[in-house]
Amino acid sequence: MAESTLAFLRRRRWIWPLLGILILWGALTVLTARFSIYSLTGVAVSASFLLLPALGQMLVITTGRGNIDLSIPSTVTLAAYLSVMTANGTDAGFLLSLAIVLSGGIAIGLFNALLVLGLRIPAMIATLASGYILATGVMIVNAQINTFSRPPLLAWVATGRVGELPVMVIVAILVAVVIGFMLARSAYGRQLFAVGQSLEAARLAGVRVKSTIASTFVISAALSSLTGMLLSGYAGGAFLEMGTPYLLQSVGAVVLGGTLIAGGSATAFGTLLGGMLLVMIVTTMQIAGLPPGAQDILQGVVIIAVLSVAGTRIGRQAS
Amino acid sequence: MLNAMLEPAPMAAVAHPADKQVLFRLAAIGKSYGSTRANQNINLEVCTGEVLGLVGANGAGKSTLMRILCGVTEPSEGTMTWAGEPLDLSAFSPAEARNRGIRIAWQELSLSPNLSVAENFYVEQPQFARFSPGWLRDYHRLADQTLTRIFPGARVSTSRLVDDLSIAERQMIEIARAASDPDLKLLILDEPTSSLGAERSKQLRSFVRDLTARGIGVIFISHKLAEVIDISDRVVAMRNGQLAWVKAADQTSISDLVDAMGGAGTAKERTTKEVANTGHVRVRLEGDRFGAQPLALKAGEIIGIAGLEGSGQRDLLAALFADKAPRGITRDGRTRYVSGDRGREGVFPLWSVLDNISIGRLARRSPLALVKDGQERPVARERAGRLALDESRLDSNILDLSGGNQQKALVARALDDDADIILLDDPTRGVDIAAKGDFYRLVREIADAGRLVIWHSTEDLEFLQCDRVLVFAGNEVVAELAGSEISEEAVVAASFLQPRQPVEAPSERRAKAIAVALRAIPFVSLFAVFAIMASMNPLVASSFGLELLLAPAVTLVLIALAQMFVVGGSEIDLGVGGFTGFINVVSATLLVSTPLLGIGALLGGLLGYALIGFIIQARAIPAIVVTLGASFIWVGLGQTIQSSPGGSAPPWLASLFTWTIPGLPTPLVLIVLAGLVAVAFDRSPTGTILRAFGSGTRALERAGWSSVRYAMLRYVLAALFATTAGLYVTATNNASDINAGASFTLLSIAAVVIGGCQLLGGIIAPLGVVAGAVTLSLIGALLASLGVSTDFNAAVQGGLLIVILGLQALALRRRKHG
Repeated sequence: MAESTLAFLRRRRWIWPLLGILILWGALTVLTARFSIYSLTGVAVSASFLLLPALGQMLVITTGRGNIDLSIPSTVTLAAYLSVMTANGTDAGFLLSLAIVLSGGIAIGLFNALLVLGLRIPAMIATLASGYILATGVMIVNAQINTFSRPPLLAWVATGRVGELPVMVIVAILVAVVIGFMLARSAYGRQLFAVGQSLEAARLAGVRVKSTIASTFVISAALSSLTGMLLSGYAGGAFLEMGTPYLLQSVGAVVLGGTLIAGGSATAFGTLLGGMLLVMIVTTMQIAGLPPGAQDILQGVVIIAVLSVAGTRIGRQAS
Repeated sequence: MLNAMLEPAPMAAVAHPADKQVLFRLAAIGKSYGSTRANQNINLEVCTGEVLGLVGANGAGKSTLMRILCGVTEPSEGTMTWAGEPLDLSAFSPAEARNRGIRIAWQELSLSPNLSVAENFYVEQPQFARFSPGWLRDYHRLADQTLTRIFPGARVSTSRLVDDLSIAERQMIEIARAASDPDLKLLILDEPTSSLGAERSKQLRSFVRDLTARGIGVIFISHKLAEVIDISDRVVAMRNGQLAWVKAADQTSISDLVDAMGGAGTAKERTTKEVANTGHVRVRLEGDRFGAQPLALKAGEIIGIAGLEGSGQRDLLAALFADKAPRGITRDGRTRYVSGDRGREGVFPLWSVLDNISIGRLARRSPLALVKDGQERPVARERAGRLALDESRLDSNILDLSGGNQQKALVARALDDDADIILLDDPTRGVDIAAKGDFYRLVREIADAGRLVIWHSTEDLEFLQCDRVLVFAGNEVVAELAGSEISEEAVVAASFLQPRQPVEAPSERRAKAIAVALRAIPFVSLFAVFAIMASMNPLVASSFGLELLLAPAVTLVLIALAQMFVVGGSEIDLGVGGFTGFINVVSATLLVSTPLLGIGALLGGLLGYALIGFIIQARAIPAIVVTLGASFIWVGLGQTIQSSPGGSAPPWLASLFTWTIPGLPTPLVLIVLAGLVAVAFDRSPTGTILRAFGSGTRALERAGWSSVRYAMLRYVLAALFATTAGLYVTATNNASDINAGASFTLLSIAAVVIGGCQLLGGIIAPLGVVAGAVTLSLIGALLASLGVSTDFNAAVQGGLLIVILGLQALALRRRKHG
């Protein structure tokens, strides 16, 4: 009995963040009268913006061997600037702007993939370096930015509601469902997990290893770009440090969600819950009136602590 | 028949000479890994002054037994007695084994390739190190003396890097290193002569006789059976994790040993029918490498690929599996690859047997194709049935299966309907005899079903299962054996034939030139940048100009050295910039207002780094994520202490960094000092071990060094350099800003890379890193003096990093192919 419970927990690692969310929510509701379903939607909107880059980060991490995308913050910020610069206030213009932002994201992803696969630079350094180059791009466009004429469609997606439900939450959940379905039910998911567990074994089994890895960098950069665009719609503009929180939080959501940091196994649902939990922790700290510095500390501590307790290989050791 | 063979033969008790005492006694020792029994009921004694020969096939459990003897592996059951005193098995560590005088020369060699010969002796025999700058000289002498004593005439320079030595030289060093212990009691030699010529092997045996004359016990493990009989007093044969028998050496013979190694059971006589094969030609090999006549490999055949290890067999398999076959090889049909290196190239450890089988079909599907368990299961079940793999185990984790059954699952993966050519890469490695028999039958069935099987094996007996055998030597096919010509002797004899073209020695001079060029990059670029700046403004070269120019470089030099030690352990510290900022803030605020608390905070920082090192090593968590998390902690702490830039330097701190030596720019002195400290530490005994850990932990752990302790030390050392950097910033700026450190993280990595360190670890170059760091910080100044906006700094630095890493990658690739 205990054995099967353990096996169940091992397979469904998203239980833990769900548990965390419920406990935190319960505690908040009891301790403060201010926290309610309404604040929960606020949390959900913030979590939705985090979820998109976190899903991309999850795919990159799942390819294993320490792969990680550190260019996410710069990509988010650059995309926000691009959507501000290309917007002309009409929905027709918005589609063009969307095309520009997305193709920019794809180009960034391809560049990262080229560095990692073509030049064999470790992913963390390649994406760190490309992040710096993008940051310079942001600095340059920052000088020439004008007022943002926000297209109505973008405003609706970023801030609108369908009934009680924010559109942004629906968008994020849809993306999570698509990626979750891909991982669980498509050949792509199997190929990705195979690459993450053992690159050589995957290659010899016939998986197109390089295109699989490249695809994760492209998806990650594309999702980050989308996030940047939506953020600009939400905030009504773009600013320099816009993407910064997503560096640690994208990794945090993945780790808290139960995806293996060593690669080979991932859960989109877990990342969704992990993002939610992380945002709730931040919100709690804000309600408690902690300074921003303390929030950074706690996020760092939570991520390291969760990793230390969970270890890298939940399940078994390869003998 | 097979079953009868698997039964352990009754133990023939051979009395050891009465005048010798029992040194080491094992009673009922066993070791299990999951469901596999690597060792079982081992009862064995080793006496003083005795050579105990140990033989057994691959996978017979010899290595596990040796790992138990020297404390690397803890047995699951049984007791061990050393010199009459019972051992506490859980406390019997590698270090404990060494203390008792047990030393082993490992078959897979446990040298650190990035250390010199003398330094490798230190790793194994640290007890002689003195606290003195010339400590290594003793080890040069020890290495030289031991080598000359065992292998007279073998001239190996003790200051050469092991990486640059030939495999035979490495083996000699591995042996000499283990034997150089003056308190040696038991020496274990695991395949000590596998890479040695006849002369060296003779020298070694004569040395072993000297040892036994001094009462030292020796365990001699070898596949070279004549040597075993020649040197041993008693011989032990192992099979399937158990002792098959123990005999006096003069009462045994080579054929006895061959039988014991399991050769008899597999197949002495050929089982294959000899019919002219008229199948479709699946693979055609043409060109000088493959002999005068093109070789046509046909459907329905089993083709053996033989030769001494590393003679080009695996290259052929790789070429046949490549998307585009290279020139001279034409392939008609789809290939599947089955590797015998299951752990690295075969199994997916997180998955069930079912998933491990079905990935073969799914790997080649369109990524968007849907996967249905209901479709995969019947296919997998049908294949499992054909391979006599128990269906009920389809949902077990793959690692719960025995090696033989794992291999069956991997074959099942390859049995797609459209697979025409099956490549087998030493598939029976570590598979027990019974499973091997099954496996041979299976391979024949696969061929009979109209597929071409190409089978590389390291066990020559297995070629009896083949229709034809291609024997490789020096990347060429030197013989083709067919039908009744195939025998173990014929294959072995052909393996030693000379290739038609002399083997091309890799162009060593060119590789060396590239290595020298890479090492020179930081110094050349430093000189170039400085020359450009001096030509633009002659004041730069003055003492005052240097003072101004180099002041900002000191910080980067210190942080880069911190990063260098982390990179030396093949990790990266993403928090080093944040940490420097934290120290900057602490020293400009707390240290001024409440010095005690300030000092406490600085020490807390060091402790934090020790903890980071501990978590990374003990919990096996990627350093990037931990240090990324830590960077937020440092920045958060800094922000909490001081939310906006400000503060001031304690007067004593300022005076610590701002003295002057007349005529010498202070920053230059500081930079040189920092470099010297780093070099001195790197060359010290502790630094040597840290460097050794960079090329892998296994060898060091076997030598009794604690990887966790050294990981903590590595991070504390990095923290010390970063702390100095933070203090320097406070002292020179007389203020602090938590965000000031942020940009240093990437810069430090860039400096380390430019400096000639390898990101994969093990190779660190303190002086190169110093030069690289100064260059990088001068580039900032250069851009400014050229009128380039500081906005571009980050892009230039990031771009430079990518360019240099790209160049290194290209150089390394060329070195491999060249």
